[in-house]
Amino acid sequence: MSEYVLELKDINKYFGNSHVIKNVNMNIPKGAFVTFLGPSGCGKTTLLRMIAGFYEPDEGQILLNGRNIERIPPYGRNTAMVFQEYALFPHMSVYENVSYGLNVKGVGKDEIKKRVTEALELMQLQGMENRYPNQMSGGQQQRVAVARALVMNPEALLLDEPLSNLDAKLRESVRVELRQIQQKMGLTTIYVTHDQSEALSMSDMIVVMRKGVIHQIGTAHEIYFNPKTTFVADFIGTTNLLKVTGDGSNIVKYLEGSIKVYKDVPVGQGCVLSVRPECLHLATEPVDGVVNIAGEITDKMFLGEKLRYFVKDTAGLEWIVDIFDPGKKEMAGKVYINFPSEKAWLIEEAEIDKEE
Amino acid sequence: MSEKTTAGREQTGWRSELKVLLREPPLLISILVVFALFGLFIIYPFVKLLFIPSAEDWQLAITGKEFVEAFRNTLFSSLAATTTAIIFGFIYAYAINYTNMPCKRFFQVVALLPTMAPSVVTGLAFIMLFGRRGFITWNILHLKVDLYGAFGLWVVQTIAFFPLAYITISGVLKSISPNLELAAQNLGAKGWYLFRTVTLKLATPGLASAFLLVGINSLADFGNPMLVGGNYHVLATEAYTQVVGAWNLPMGATLSVFLVVPTILVFFVQRYYLEKHSYVTVTGKPVAGLIRVTAGPAATWAMFAFCLFLCSTIILILGVVCLFAFTEAFGYDFTFTMKHFIEGVMQSAVMKNSWVAAMSTASITTIFGIALAFLTIRKQFPGRVLMDFLAMLPVSLPGTFIGMALILAFNDGPLAMTGTLWIIILGMTLRQLPVGYRQAVAGLKQIEKSLEQASTNLGANSFTTFRKVILPMLKNSLSVSFVYSFMKSMNTLSTVIFLISPEWNLASINIMSLSDHGFLATASATAVGMVLTILITFGIVKLILRDQINIFDL
Repeated sequence: MSEYVLELKDINKYFGNSHVIKNVNMNIPKGAFVTFLGPSGCGKTTLLRMIAGFYEPDEGQILLNGRNIERIPPYGRNTAMVFQEYALFPHMSVYENVSYGLNVKGVGKDEIKKRVTEALELMQLQGMENRYPNQMSGGQQQRVAVARALVMNPEALLLDEPLSNLDAKLRESVRVELRQIQQKMGLTTIYVTHDQSEALSMSDMIVVMRKGVIHQIGTAHEIYFNPKTTFVADFIGTTNLLKVTGDGSNIVKYLEGSIKVYKDVPVGQGCVLSVRPECLHLATEPVDGVVNIAGEITDKMFLGEKLRYFVKDTAGLEWIVDIFDPGKKEMAGKVYINFPSEKAWLIEEAEIDKEE
Repeated sequence: MSEKTTAGREQTGWRSELKVLLREPPLLISILVVFALFGLFIIYPFVKLLFIPSAEDWQLAITGKEFVEAFRNTLFSSLAATTTAIIFGFIYAYAINYTNMPCKRFFQVVALLPTMAPSVVTGLAFIMLFGRRGFITWNILHLKVDLYGAFGLWVVQTIAFFPLAYITISGVLKSISPNLELAAQNLGAKGWYLFRTVTLKLATPGLASAFLLVGINSLADFGNPMLVGGNYHVLATEAYTQVVGAWNLPMGATLSVFLVVPTILVFFVQRYYLEKHSYVTVTGKPVAGLIRVTAGPAATWAMFAFCLFLCSTIILILGVVCLFAFTEAFGYDFTFTMKHFIEGVMQSAVMKNSWVAAMSTASITTIFGIALAFLTIRKQFPGRVLMDFLAMLPVSLPGTFIGMALILAFNDGPLAMTGTLWIIILGMTLRQLPVGYRQAVAGLKQIEKSLEQASTNLGANSFTTFRKVILPMLKNSLSVSFVYSFMKSMNTLSTVIFLISPEWNLASINIMSLSDHGFLATASATAVGMVLTILITFGIVKLILRDQINIFDL
């Protein structure tokens, strides 16, 4: 028995001439909440559908609890999925919808009743057993769709952008709830989204994808603060990307600042430093012990909890600097951007970044 | 939801609607004109027909042995043919939409070919292949069989109405979101279980509608019972015999009323029951890129074999028609000749007459259809529901009934039209109006009101908005309804059977009467000419409109 619930090995998929999934490898441990994150067309949904069995990979293996499933049709896998449009059966009541999969399996009547009732209770749908999907709100339909998948007690629960049809407020509360249920049941869950705040807030592990390639697999913290590629740095949140060149030491130079990074950079190698706007400060004079970059404020924007400054340095790069709890004080004109060395994260120019 | 309820808090009710109407004279006038036209050409003829027969006529129709038998025959034969046509159409449509069998495109095209010729061509082919001197029964097998009657009619009508069943059911199946079947598969369902619990259940309301549509058509079918019914009389042929043979107009009228009773019933069931129980509107849009394949290999190959069989039958029918059309005397003298074609198409005025009438009909129904749809969809006025009802009503009326009503109503008086081209166009227009209207309604419903508002907001008046925004967006659905009306009008037989005159004879009628009198080769040549005429016209329309419409995707 493998320690992983789901293993993807060297998966490749082509649609006609386009190579939509490129050498994907990943291992998902039991009980993990894993999110596939990326812009539309990055292959995240294709990968999910491959796990569900709606597509077959052209190359590679998919192992579910140690057994190969890549050639098993969708109905032979225990990978219940929540569809983006919910895909509730319009001709069946809530009870019939949720019990459908158990009926297929040939589970006994009493057992079905028990499990369906439990699932409906978990999703707070008690008393709605006899309603039909078109008599329910979008949020309620979504709960039914989740209950229908949960009741199957799947080896891996698949969620395909399940919150995208809900309004913003509801989305946030459902996401907390989903996460709680997942943790309580210890369900291995794969969640597909293009919304980074969903990904960051819910996941044990995030898989960032672009154009069929995995850019990084890591925890929310790693993805945010230690991005492996400039794409990841740029896609998640807001960041400042500084182009630098190595000189053999672990000190790189950007304009007048010398920044110590976590490793030696070979001579002449181009790298990128990512510094988050909230790690930066502004001062009228250079500050000792930190990196100082001179610049001029070109614009500012009040965003409620923070004040966002746009500062142009002498190389022409426009920095984004977020100042929290700024009070009434606003700065203008020539300033110094300063930040501690360790706030800058080195990204070695990876090959995948150059692929456009 | 909340937005809608607040937005809907404008004043409603007929009083305020009437007020709005009085403020817009052009709107008021157009509504009055529409109701006047409907009153004159729909309500008046049909009401008049009801008052023509005397009490004795009604009594005789109910008690007369031959009439009771015709009534029973009609119900029985159309029920049988409709059932088989629907089953065939369903299997065919399912195979094309739900499997990955080979040659799908080919099957799609072949199934639609027969719709370009009158349905009576199936009967004609049946005579040529299996008749008393049929090529297969007589020339090849040397059998002396008589397949005319109930059995022959059942076979012929099944084949003749299969394309209609297929097209309708294919539309039903396409409207089922593949997501639902994928979800069912994801939950472990497969094969027969999946089909029974999801696909079939979701398709049932649509299937019932298709059943009713095919049912109305086979009830009203006139040509095939005439050709292959033999002594098996149905209401449509009996009414014809009464009118044309015995010149007993009241009796013909009585019988056509009997024909209309089941179809009106069907119309109400369809409109007020099935449409409310349809699920297609709540299933959402299909996901691109996912092809549903739900049938296993064994089932797929079984369906492939079935499709191949039906296709071969259709090709056999069309093939034998072509062979008869272009040989001296097929079965005896196989020399190639154009003489039947020249006689039936080139030297005869019927093709031109049909073309003129069908073209006029298609133009009228398309333009009038969009005007009507604009009124019922975009405007609020008292009588809106009635207008919608009247526009859709002819869809449920058998062609023979429409034809009968028109000759009775416009035989004399200020609007005497009997024997003219006008009454033919009027009949065809009534029959096709629902098609043009429904297409325009569907098209208009797809155009969001906000687009019109945007145009008005940018300074365009209603007329400019209609011309520059709505019309271009409706182009596709309009050309579909134009092409469809044209094709159906060319092919119609039952609607025009009472309306033609020696001066204004039509190609579809000629095909039937030539077949009936044994001029099989000339009838075949006329049928071929008709298919060619329709195809060439499609080509021209396509060139003029430069649209993307593919008639085989209809």
